[in-house]
Amino acid sequence: MSTITQNKATADRTDGAGPSVVGSRRLLPRLRGHGGALWRRWRYPFTRRTPLLIETAYNPKTLATEKEIVDKRPLYWIAGLLVLLVVPPVFGDNSFLSAATVFAIYAAINIVWMLMIGTAGIFSLATLAVVGAAAYTVSYISIHTGLPWWGMIAVSPLVGLLFGVLIAIPALRLEGFYYALLTVGIADLCREFVLQTQALGAASYGLYGADTYVPKGISERGGLLLSFYAAFVVMLAALALYRMVNGQRLGLLLRTAPEGQEAFAAALGINYRAARIQVFLISSAALGAIGGFYATYFKGASPALFTMDSLLLLLAMIVIGGIGTAEGAVVGTLIVVLFDRVFIGLGPVRLIIIAMIMFGTVLFLRRGLFGIAPQFRAWRDKRRSERRALRTGEGDDIMPEDATQIADKQAIYTQRFDKQLREELKKLVTDELIAEHRRTDGGRRSDALERILTYFRRAEMAGKYAILAEKPFAAYRIVALSGKRGMPPRLVDDQVFATQEEAQHGVFLKRIRDLLDS
Amino acid sequence: MHIDFYYLAVTTVTLASIYGLLAVGISIIWSSLGMINMAHGFTFAVSGYGAWLVAQNVSTNGVVVLAGGVLTGMLSGAVIGGLAFVPLYDKPNFAVRSLIATLAIALFGSQCLLWAFGPRVKALPPIFPTGGFKFGTASVSYDRLGAIVCSIVLLLAMLAWMKRSRRGLEIRAMMQNPEGAALVGVGLRSTAIAVMMMTGGLAGLAAVLLSRTYFISPFAGAIPLVKGIIVALAGGLGSLAGALIAAALLGLVEALTAVGLGGRFVLITQFLVIIIILLIRPRGIAGMLERTRE
Amino acid sequence: MSEVLRIENLSAGYGALGVLHNIDFTVQAGERIGIIGLNGHGKSTLLRAIAGLTGWQSGSIKLNGVEIGGIRSQGPGRFTHQIVRQGLALMPQGDALFHGLTVADHLDSGAYTRRAWRERVRRRERMLEVFPPLAKLLSVPVGRLSGGERRMVSLARGLMADASLLLIDEPSLGLAPKISKGLIEALMRIDLGNGAMVIAEQNLSRLEGAMTRLVTLHAGKLKGGAAANMGLLGGHH
Repeated sequence: MSTITQNKATADRTDGAGPSVVGSRRLLPRLRGHGGALWRRWRYPFTRRTPLLIETAYNPKTLATEKEIVDKRPLYWIAGLLVLLVVPPVFGDNSFLSAATVFAIYAAINIVWMLMIGTAGIFSLATLAVVGAAAYTVSYISIHTGLPWWGMIAVSPLVGLLFGVLIAIPALRLEGFYYALLTVGIADLCREFVLQTQALGAASYGLYGADTYVPKGISERGGLLLSFYAAFVVMLAALALYRMVNGQRLGLLLRTAPEGQEAFAAALGINYRAARIQVFLISSAALGAIGGFYATYFKGASPALFTMDSLLLLLAMIVIGGIGTAEGAVVGTLIVVLFDRVFIGLGPVRLIIIAMIMFGTVLFLRRGLFGIAPQFRAWRDKRRSERRALRTGEGDDIMPEDATQIADKQAIYTQRFDKQLREELKKLVTDELIAEHRRTDGGRRSDALERILTYFRRAEMAGKYAILAEKPFAAYRIVALSGKRGMPPRLVDDQVFATQEEAQHGVFLKRIRDLLDS
Repeated sequence: MHIDFYYLAVTTVTLASIYGLLAVGISIIWSSLGMINMAHGFTFAVSGYGAWLVAQNVSTNGVVVLAGGVLTGMLSGAVIGGLAFVPLYDKPNFAVRSLIATLAIALFGSQCLLWAFGPRVKALPPIFPTGGFKFGTASVSYDRLGAIVCSIVLLLAMLAWMKRSRRGLEIRAMMQNPEGAALVGVGLRSTAIAVMMMTGGLAGLAAVLLSRTYFISPFAGAIPLVKGIIVALAGGLGSLAGALIAAALLGLVEALTAVGLGGRFVLITQFLVIIIILLIRPRGIAGMLERTRE
Repeated sequence: MSEVLRIENLSAGYGALGVLHNIDFTVQAGERIGIIGLNGHGKSTLLRAIAGLTGWQSGSIKLNGVEIGGIRSQGPGRFTHQIVRQGLALMPQGDALFHGLTVADHLDSGAYTRRAWRERVRRRERMLEVFPPLAKLLSVPVGRLSGGERRMVSLARGLMADASLLLIDEPSLGLAPKISKGLIEALMRIDLGNGAMVIAEQNLSRLEGAMTRLVTLHAGKLKGGAAANMGLLGGHH
């Protein structure tokens, strides 16, 4: 949720002093308020949801109502998707277009994968296995029975779901992390199986010959454009699915049960396990659908889907973008595909560089690119609080736990002020000051000495030093007042002073000693 | 269908000992460092290349080549420990991040190997004398016998070392209570590097012994890594005895499947067996009771 | 008389909470010091700060003249093993035991210097003289021992390496009075030589009579300021 920017005062012409800037800088213009009509808002049809979170506030300077968009993320999404939609067909050549198509397919896979990892918390590395299994199955069916492309796309979610059920069974019993290890093997298993089975195209390194949605007579550029738009639609569908699952009931249920705190959700009666499995199965079906689309695009399937390299590439995409958000999936995919595309001249070296970027991301960032801001803020807050804790000592700032016990809150602030004052006064105490006190008894004193004396005079009665004239004009001693009615002062030590001035200086020295000790 | 028991026995024992070497490594790293080392396969591959370089440039003596492979494995293990464990072990999300970090290292490393040595596979000179003998109705080459004996000897030596030596005690202490270990002078980082070196050495040994089956190539480590992981998982991550038992069991399953159903069903049956084991006992055959890693 | 430990201006805490504020503390060789204080006022934090296990700390700590403190705010325990090898033994609250290892393993793990490792059997015998009940339990995994026996294992483990400074955190915590009395008597019988022992305790009566001096720690400050170093019992409120 973006922070609410404060109302910035608009240029106030009336005072003639020029624009005064109050609050943070605004990047988007303020819209005019709509007066009293609070309920006339744009809403999604048949729902009560508003598209953007628009709030009305009153500008304190001009007292006019202003509308402000609080949640700007939909705008960023729309802008980004528009750019992605327009740039490749308009500015890209054919190879750029096909790379963009591949980007869209990968982005769709990653978004659904993010649903599995982020929302359901099931760290499965078998996403490509599901996609590949669906692709192989529908290709096989299409080759041998002539199933048309729309049939392939219709059947593939079922295949994905079936496969998902199979690999969900161990997930029921295994902890998240162990399950990830198991899924690593699943992709390998598929690869071995496919590479050794003649019927699945082992000899030709892939199954080819399935139907495709690109019509026969179309030009090359036209075909590429069509594929790109189709893949873009698939990506939008994946985003819609993410939004529906993550933002609605299942996602909300699962947000109560993050890793390690499931007991809390269970105590509330939330069946998080069922929700997790449901999200997992939905994701598997979606991956199957993407696999079907993949098969219709490439007119078949290849074992490259099951290799560790592809898995690592996709993993790099979501790691760089940040695990857990859809925007991280898309941006990470964009970065890696762009990198792949731009540096294609380097050959296998670009995989090395991608591996290094992935390593660097996981080393320094807790949650990928989109986690940089929260991570930095958390680090800065931690440093700040540690530095503050280092500075405060005891006896001054009352700890929050103790403060709740004190009824009169003013006492806390008084104590804090007292501590600050004492720190200031401690700096003023020097040998010259003490000599000055002795010298200037009865006369004018310097500012520093006056401040210290004023502070001493303001001390509370209990324990305040006073002078007892044992023998007036002959012997004086220092006593400490008890502060209690009827209780006599007590003798502090056995020093006897000859004159009152000496006794006063003695009292001063004692008070200075106490000040420095505190 | 006639099942040749002798052949079965020989194959099982061979496979079990090799899987044991890899699985034990993964298990130890998980239980003492809390990290899944997905770059173990890369250590396997690079040790093969190390042994090959030794064979090309130094000598083709079996022992020397073997030592070359083991040393390369140790070096590789130490580097991986330094890159993936040392910077991350006290940071949040350590388990997932170290998994991804080791995967990144594996990708980086195998592409570097591909770039440096090219995709063609390489072969090592024979470590053991050629020839063989008859064990019942199966013929056992000295190569196989050597592999079995070497693996078993080294595994037992390592177990004994873990139990008796000071370093082994430190590693076991660190597995159970890192703060307590620090209080008795056990440096977490130096012990971690020691663990990685030891397991890297085991992987290097496996690479050389298996060079007849898995020829030396940049991606030679992928399948052994997967097998090591699933054997360790079935045995219970953190239990050495469990890993060895699981290795034996899965070696038997593989041999049976290879003989009975055919090579391409091997992984499937192994997976099915493992899934059944994990469904019955989610922590593996001998999984530890309570993991304090998290 | 050499100084085993010299702390100057130590502040330490965890995150936003500062627990110790500007502590000055000195321990001479041969002394047995008791640190008294209520829970939460910093006794454990002081001992842990010496071992480098707090969230952050600043100030100078010199063990046998070697500086082991310094400004730290990253990774508690990062340098602990090096500090320990300078001659420190911390027996923390909660014992920090290895639940799967046997008592004999624990004692062996305590002997971390080369010399101690070579003589570990003989030192083990010595420990069994100090804590006789452990003699029958040498091969029992520590997870199965009772509270008092576990405390004994933790203390014995700390004593194995001839550390010059022993820091013992609440040895009587959670134990029956008779057992804790026996433990503290055993600790008092140990010959310190050129080393020193610091015991943090909440219950003053357990330590009575056996300590060289007592200091109180209240709200993160050694009470009485300069008086703490002069052997006065703290606290004139």
